[in-house]
Amino acid sequence: MHDLLSPYQHRDSTIHRLPAGAKLAGAVAFVFSVVLLPRGTWGPLAAGFAILVAVAALSRVPASRLAGRLLWVEPFALGVALLAVFQPGGPGIFAFVLARATLCLFAMVLLSATTRFTDLLRVLWRIRLPVILVTTLALMHRYLFLLVEEMSRMLRARRSRTFLPGRAAAWRAGAAVAAGLFVRSTERAERIYGAMCARGWKT
Amino acid sequence: MNAVEVRGLNYRYGDGTAALRDVSFTVAEGERVALIGPNGAGKSTLLLHLNGLLPDPPAAAPAVTVLGTPVAGPNLGAVRAQVGLLFQDPDDQLFCPTVWEDVAFGPQQMGKAGMALEVRVAAALGRVGLAGFGDRQPHHLSRGEKRRVCLAGVLACDARVLALDEPTSDLDPRARRELKEFLRGLPVTQIIATHDLELVVEVCPRAILLDAGAKVAEGPTAELLNDEALMLAHGLERPHILRHSRPH
Amino acid sequence: MHIPDGFLDTKTAIATGALAAAGIAVALADVRRTVPPRRVPLIGLAAAFVFAAQMLNFPVAGGTSGHLIGGVLAAVLLGPGAAVVVITAVLILQCLMFADGGLTALGANIFNMGIVAPGIGYGAYRLLCRAAGESLRARLFATAFAAWVSTVAAAIACAGELALSGTVAWGVAFPAMAGVHVLIGLGEALITALVVAAVARTRPDLVAAEAGRERSYGGMVAYGLLISVGLAVFVGPFACGWPDGLEKVAATLGFEHRAAGKSLVAAPLPDYAVPGIPSRVLSTVIAGAAGTLVAFVLAFLLARFLTPTRGPRARSA
Repeated sequence: MHDLLSPYQHRDSTIHRLPAGAKLAGAVAFVFSVVLLPRGTWGPLAAGFAILVAVAALSRVPASRLAGRLLWVEPFALGVALLAVFQPGGPGIFAFVLARATLCLFAMVLLSATTRFTDLLRVLWRIRLPVILVTTLALMHRYLFLLVEEMSRMLRARRSRTFLPGRAAAWRAGAAVAAGLFVRSTERAERIYGAMCARGWKT
Repeated sequence: MNAVEVRGLNYRYGDGTAALRDVSFTVAEGERVALIGPNGAGKSTLLLHLNGLLPDPPAAAPAVTVLGTPVAGPNLGAVRAQVGLLFQDPDDQLFCPTVWEDVAFGPQQMGKAGMALEVRVAAALGRVGLAGFGDRQPHHLSRGEKRRVCLAGVLACDARVLALDEPTSDLDPRARRELKEFLRGLPVTQIIATHDLELVVEVCPRAILLDAGAKVAEGPTAELLNDEALMLAHGLERPHILRHSRPH
Repeated sequence: MHIPDGFLDTKTAIATGALAAAGIAVALADVRRTVPPRRVPLIGLAAAFVFAAQMLNFPVAGGTSGHLIGGVLAAVLLGPGAAVVVITAVLILQCLMFADGGLTALGANIFNMGIVAPGIGYGAYRLLCRAAGESLRARLFATAFAAWVSTVAAAIACAGELALSGTVAWGVAFPAMAGVHVLIGLGEALITALVVAAVARTRPDLVAAEAGRERSYGGMVAYGLLISVGLAVFVGPFACGWPDGLEKVAATLGFEHRAAGKSLVAAPLPDYAVPGIPSRVLSTVIAGAAGTLVAFVLAFLLARFLTPTRGPRARSA
């Protein structure tokens, strides 16, 4: 599910070509205005949906992918929602809040589908987010995919040597893999520090 | 002036085991020398001494001199600009979000900026055949491409000595051929630690054999690698390329 | 526990945003002071690790499975400042790249999962280690309990924020969030302890290193203050039974957060109480204390199970 949209970040479209800063600012402005809409104002909400549908069309991200992502409602939101239904007028209020949340989700999903994280990072750097935070975000994003792959390999290797099925074995495997991944990550972090020093990094 | 001079280099790991024992050799400028030996011989450890990553903290009386500069405390910055170290795992070295930023990293540490920086990065990427790759993200690159970006990164620093740690490991035959050709055409001092004995024969006229941290032999590649007894005694073997053709 | 957009009202979003920013500032100062430069890349790698580790499946029953949250794991292995930065980075990535958690709720999500959880977890961990000793078994016990407490604390803060926003009445939010997370916290405790035990098996130095670090009391006081302020603002009024007073304050200050005139989710039983005990607050406190005691005992038993005193796996470091 998570990688659903990253293949689309490298496509080309009017939206993709917009600068990352503009897209981020646009998404922020959109989400903030939608969140401020008073309950029951369905008109502006519908207008918001129309705008995003137009943006989505321009971005040429497949509609089925977008819909799939939007329909996967956060269980948390659903849980809160279900509780609201049991009161007079509840369903109406609840429907609005859920629709509003979905509209905001739509905007963020479009942002992530058309913008590369590395471009967003540059924007965050320019607006003077603290160095350690930006560096952490950059390194995290860089090594994310590598660690996830390493993790799958370790899980596969572990499963190849697990002959008794069952939850206990799965929990032990998960913990062992997580621990192994952590240890490897600390060792890799040391080597990265060495590589940074090797090219002149001054501390 | 020699490119690299190593005199009586000793190194122990944290747990006390000797990693390098009294190693001495020199490398002339423009020379291409191979460091060969079995696993655990200390080849990688030796390379890490060439730009002062080891010993950590730096020794008072360094055993290594690069281009006339002893590899010690105040000189480390200058040495690291001169010695381009290519790590065994390109993922350790390619830590920036995009290719351009990674190649620019070294020059930026040296104070380059603006148009001068752009030109440098573009030139380095061009030399390794990756022009236009600037905007790519490292995790989308192939193994061979990652290695080439790392190479571009050290070339962008105008390194005069290249130290490569297993540069052809896990490269497919085509990438390996391309790297070989590239190294042969690069007029820079090269010290290559490798298991790839065929690479050694084709790229390095001279070789140094290490085993268990000590220098066992050194000499012209053909002579060393043709000595079957010596090769087998130190966990290696005579490469096929020498068995089936006349040594040059 | 990622709150989506539109579930928090303006004042709550602003308040949590401010608290989150302050918490991050404290954490960054702590990191700058106590983490040597050579360990800074580790914070980035740890963030990638937490993100990856959150994908691991720990099957529970039927088709459901539990997942690691990682706040206390990061705090135990890297220290509280680094843990705050790590979880914050993961939450920012999830918000911007996966639309997991609302943009306007980012402050609240960071405060709950990135500051309250690691902060309270680390505090509990340190306190218990001081009381129980520095052996591996003591550390595992402290880790497990800390992970449970941190999960429940974050959930309570979240409930408070939802109630203060008028989205869900406290009488429903608190039992629902706290109740569910008392159970989720058990999973987190178990997973976190298992992972720390596994790390200690191969690299005991990584687990012990944290304990030997310079303790920045100033930092801990700052976190404690922030978390207390947050809990006081979001939970206090409800715990003390003052929701009406708070509404009057809100009305006076002009916060029109009740556009529809009532909560999104009204409490079905306004006078919810444990049978036999008249006071709502007292019954809540008793239930909470009982739950905490159970978690305490379970953590103790888990630590014993993971560190047998006989046999080849026995260790006392």
